[in-house]
Amino acid sequence: MTLLHMLMPLMVVLSSLIPGLIIFTLREDQIELRTLLNLSGVFIKMALVITMLIGVSQGYSYEFRLPFLPNADLTLRGDALSLQFVTLSSILWMATTIYAIGYLEGSPLRSRFFGYFSLCVSATVGLALAGNLVTFLLFYELLTLATFPLVVHRGTKAALRAGRIYLAYTLAGGTLVLLGVVLLHDIAGSPEFTIGGYLTVFETEHSASLTLAFALLIAGLGVKAALFPVHGWLPRAMVAPAPVSALLHAVAVVKAGAFGIVRVVYDVFGVDLVQNLNLMPPLLWLAAFTIIFGSVMALRQTELKKRLAYSTVSQVSYITLGVALLGPIAAIGAIAHLVHQGLMKVTLFFCAGNFAETLHVHRIQDMNGIGKRMPYTMAAFTVGALGMMGAPPIAGFITKWHLGLGALEVGQAWVLLVLVGSGLLNALYFLPLIYRGWFGLPPKAWPEDTGLGGGSPGWRETHWMLLLPTLFTAVVSILVGVLAGTSISPLAWAKLVVDLEFSL
Amino acid sequence: MNWALLSLALPLLSAFWVLLVRRAVSETILFATLVSLTAALAAFYQVQSDPVQTLLLGDWTLPLAIRFELTSLNALLMVLTATIHFLVGLYNRFSRHGSGRYSDYWPLSAVLHSALVALWLSRDLFNWYVTLELLTLVAVALVTLSGPKAYRAALGYLVLSLIASLFYLLGVALLYGEYGVLDLDRLSALAVDSANTRLALLLMVLGLMLKAALWPLYLWLPDAHANAPTAVSALLSALVVKGPLFILWLTLTQIAPVEFAQQLGLIFALFGSVALLSGAWSALRTPYLKTLVAYSTVAQLGYALITLGLLLRWQTPELATALWLFVIAHALAKVSAFLAAGEMQATFGSKELIAVRGASQSMPLAMFAFAVAGGSLIGLPPSGGFLAKWILLQPLFAEPAHWPWALAILLGTLASAAYVFRVVALAFDRYDVETELPQTDALAQWLSLLPALVVWGLALISQPLMLWLSTGANP
Repeated sequence: MTLLHMLMPLMVVLSSLIPGLIIFTLREDQIELRTLLNLSGVFIKMALVITMLIGVSQGYSYEFRLPFLPNADLTLRGDALSLQFVTLSSILWMATTIYAIGYLEGSPLRSRFFGYFSLCVSATVGLALAGNLVTFLLFYELLTLATFPLVVHRGTKAALRAGRIYLAYTLAGGTLVLLGVVLLHDIAGSPEFTIGGYLTVFETEHSASLTLAFALLIAGLGVKAALFPVHGWLPRAMVAPAPVSALLHAVAVVKAGAFGIVRVVYDVFGVDLVQNLNLMPPLLWLAAFTIIFGSVMALRQTELKKRLAYSTVSQVSYITLGVALLGPIAAIGAIAHLVHQGLMKVTLFFCAGNFAETLHVHRIQDMNGIGKRMPYTMAAFTVGALGMMGAPPIAGFITKWHLGLGALEVGQAWVLLVLVGSGLLNALYFLPLIYRGWFGLPPKAWPEDTGLGGGSPGWRETHWMLLLPTLFTAVVSILVGVLAGTSISPLAWAKLVVDLEFSL
Repeated sequence: MNWALLSLALPLLSAFWVLLVRRAVSETILFATLVSLTAALAAFYQVQSDPVQTLLLGDWTLPLAIRFELTSLNALLMVLTATIHFLVGLYNRFSRHGSGRYSDYWPLSAVLHSALVALWLSRDLFNWYVTLELLTLVAVALVTLSGPKAYRAALGYLVLSLIASLFYLLGVALLYGEYGVLDLDRLSALAVDSANTRLALLLMVLGLMLKAALWPLYLWLPDAHANAPTAVSALLSALVVKGPLFILWLTLTQIAPVEFAQQLGLIFALFGSVALLSGAWSALRTPYLKTLVAYSTVAQLGYALITLGLLLRWQTPELATALWLFVIAHALAKVSAFLAAGEMQATFGSKELIAVRGASQSMPLAMFAFAVAGGSLIGLPPSGGFLAKWILLQPLFAEPAHWPWALAILLGTLASAAYVFRVVALAFDRYDVETELPQTDALAQWLSLLPALVVWGLALISQPLMLWLSTGANP
C-alpha cells in the first residue's frame, strides 16, 4: 500500500475540515474568500471520492491508522459500503453548500454557519469511513456537536428549544452507543469491521452480553435514525434553516444513524449471529411500525416542513427494515435506499425552502397554484414526492421493488402489506400537495412575495443558487432510477456491497 | 532527580526574590515558572531511562531522612503543574481583567507551585502535612485577593481546612506512636490490621476528603472557588484539590489493610456516584456562572472518587491510570472553563449566568473554549476525559455484577452534558440581545482556549500517556 493510499481517507475528511476551520476565522464581509473556500473544499472532496471509487472498484484498499486506545486504533478505511455513503454525502454537500450560500445571502453570522456546516460534513464522511466501532463512535459524537450550532443558528426561542431537545436525544443516544461499544470491546476488542461480523466465535459464551450490546447500539443509533419511539427530535428540529434541514434529513444525521445500523448488523454482528440470537424480529417490527407511524403522523401535519419531517421518520426506516430482513435482495434495497431517500428528501426540502424564501409559503393550504408562479420548483417537488410514493421510474420505486422481493425471499410476506400501506399513505399526503400546486387557484397575493431572482415564473422564479441545486437533485433522482440497470448507479454499487456481505 | 529539585526550588526562590527586590515581579515569576517547566520536562525525560529515582534529603539515612521519589507519574504531574501555572500566569499578566503586574498573586502563586511539587515528590506523612498546610494557607491568601467580598468564603475555607489539617495530623501522630516511622515504604512494610491503624487512617481520610472537597465534605468549595479571582479559581480547581487526593490514593493503597480499604472503597464509590449527580444538580440550579463551574468541580471529583473507590474495592491497581487521567484531563479542562467563564464575567460585568446570553456572537472564542473544555468534562471522544472514562468502563463491563457502576457513569455523563449545555445553549440565544458588542480581549480568550485544545490533543499521545501513568502509578 502506498503512502497515497494510506492518506486518501484522511484527506477526504480534511478536505472539508480545514476549509471549515479557516472559515471560522473569517470576517463576515469576506464573502468571496468564504465562498472560494467552501467550493474548493467541495470540489477537492469530490475529486478525492471519485478517485477512491475507481480505486475500490479495481480492488485497491485505502486505510489510514493512528494508535489511540489499547486494541482500538483510529482507523479510516474506504470500502464499498463506506464509499456509497461518502459519495452520497459529497454530492449532496455540494448541492447544499451552493443552496446555503444563496439561502443565507445577506443574513448575519455566516462565517459561523459555514464553519460548522463544514465540520458537520467532515464528521459525516469520517463516520462513513470509520474502520472500527471506536472510530465510528468518535465521529458519531462529533457530528452531534457540529450540528447543534446549526440547529440553533437562528437563535430564537423556538430554535433553542429545538436545539436543547436535539441535544438531549442525541447525547443520550451517544451514551448508549458508548456503552454498547465498551461492552463489545470487553468481549472482543475493537477490530476492524469485518464482512460477516467478528463476533460469531463468542456466541456461545457471551450470548446475553451480545444481546445487550446489540440493544444498546440499536437504541443509541435509533435516536439519530429517528426510529420510534426516539424520533421526537426530528420534527421539532425543522425550525432550523432549510439547508440545515437538508443536512439533518438527507446528508448527515439520520443517515449516520441508519448507516450505523447497517454497519452493526452486517459488519459487527453479522447476519448469521443476528439470526442465531433471534434479534431480527424486534428490529423488523420496530422498523415496520415506524414506517406506518411516520406516515400517519405526516398526514396530520398542516405545515409543509413538518409533513416532510415525519415523512423522513417513515422513509429512513425503510433502510432499517431492509437490513432487518437479513436477506440479500432486501439488503440491496436498504443500501440503495440510503442514497435514494437522500436525493429525494433533499430535493423536497430545497423546494420547501424555495417556497418559504420566495413567497413565505409555509403552510400546505397556502400552496394553491404555486406551480404557476414557481413551475420549476414545483416540478422538482413533484419528482421528489412521486419518488417517495414509489412511482417508477424515480429512485424510490427501485428501493420498494427490492424490499418487496427481499421480504418474499425470506418468507416475510406481511412486510409487503407494510410497503403497500406506506405507499398509499405517502400518496395520501403527497398527492394533495401536487394537486394544489398545479391545479389549485393561485391566491390574489402570496403571503409575502420577496421577488427573489426577478420574480417571474421560470428561470427567474427564485434566486438561481436556490433553483439550480433543487433541479440538480431532482434530475439525479430520476437518473438513478432510469439508469438503475447500468454499472454506475447506486443500485449497482449496492449489489456490489451485498455480494461482498453475503459472499455471493 | 536534580532536575526535579530545580523545578521545585525555582518558584520558591523567585518568590523570595521578588519579595526582597519588588521589581519586575510578574516577569520574574513567569520566567521562573517557565524554567521550572523546562526542568520538569527534563526530569520527565530522565525518568524514562531510570523509572524510580529516590533522594534522601540532606544525606541522612532513613528513618531520619525525608525521602523524595520521582516516577513518571509525578514527573507528569510536575509538568502539568508548571504548565498550568505558566498559562494562568500569562493570563493574569496580559488579560485586562488580571490582577496586575505587582499584585500579591505572583509570589503567592509561586509558593503554591513549589508546595505542590513538594507534595508530588514526598513519600513521608509528615512532609505531606507540611506541604498541605502551606498549600492551604497560600490558597486562602489567594482567595482573599478579590477583596472584601471574598473574605467570608476565604474564612470558611480557612477554618474547614485547619480542622482538616488537625484530623490529618492526629492520624499521622497515631501512626507514628504505633510504628515509630513516617516514611511511606517503611509504614507499608510495618503496618498491620489493628484498631489503632484503622482509626488513624480514618482520621487521615476525613481530613484529606475535606481538603480535596470530596462529597459530602465539599461545602466550602463552591464559595471559595467562585469568589476567588479568575486566575486563582483556575489554579484551585485544577491543581490544589488534587494534592490531597494524591496523598489519599498513596496512603490507602500502601498502608491500609486490605479489608479496611475494601470497605472504604465501597463507600468512596457510592459517595462518588452521589457527587456526580448532586454536583451536577447544583450546577444546573445555580444562577451564577462561576459557581456553576465550581459545582462542576464537585461533580467531576466524583469520577475520581468512584475510580479510587473501585480501585480499592477490587484491589485493581490498573485503575490508577484512569484516576490520574481523570485528574490531568479535569485540570486542563477546568483551567479553560474557569478562564473562559471569568473572562466573560468580567467583560459582561455581571456574575449572573444569564449575562452570557448571545456570547457565541460577542465572545465566540471564550465561548468556544468553554464548550471545548465542556466536551472533555462530559467525556466526549477523543478528549482526555473520554480516555479516562474508557479505561474506567473496561473493568465495569467485565462482570454483570459491576454493571450498576456503569449506570452511574452513564448518568454522570448525561448530567455533566446538561450543565455544560445549559451555558452553551444560552450563548446561542441571540434573540433580543443588544447589538452593541462589548470590548473584548482576544489574547485572554485565546489563552483560555489553549488548555482545552491540549486536553483534546491528548488523544494523539494516548498510548504513551497511558503507559507513563501505569508505570508511574504501579512501580
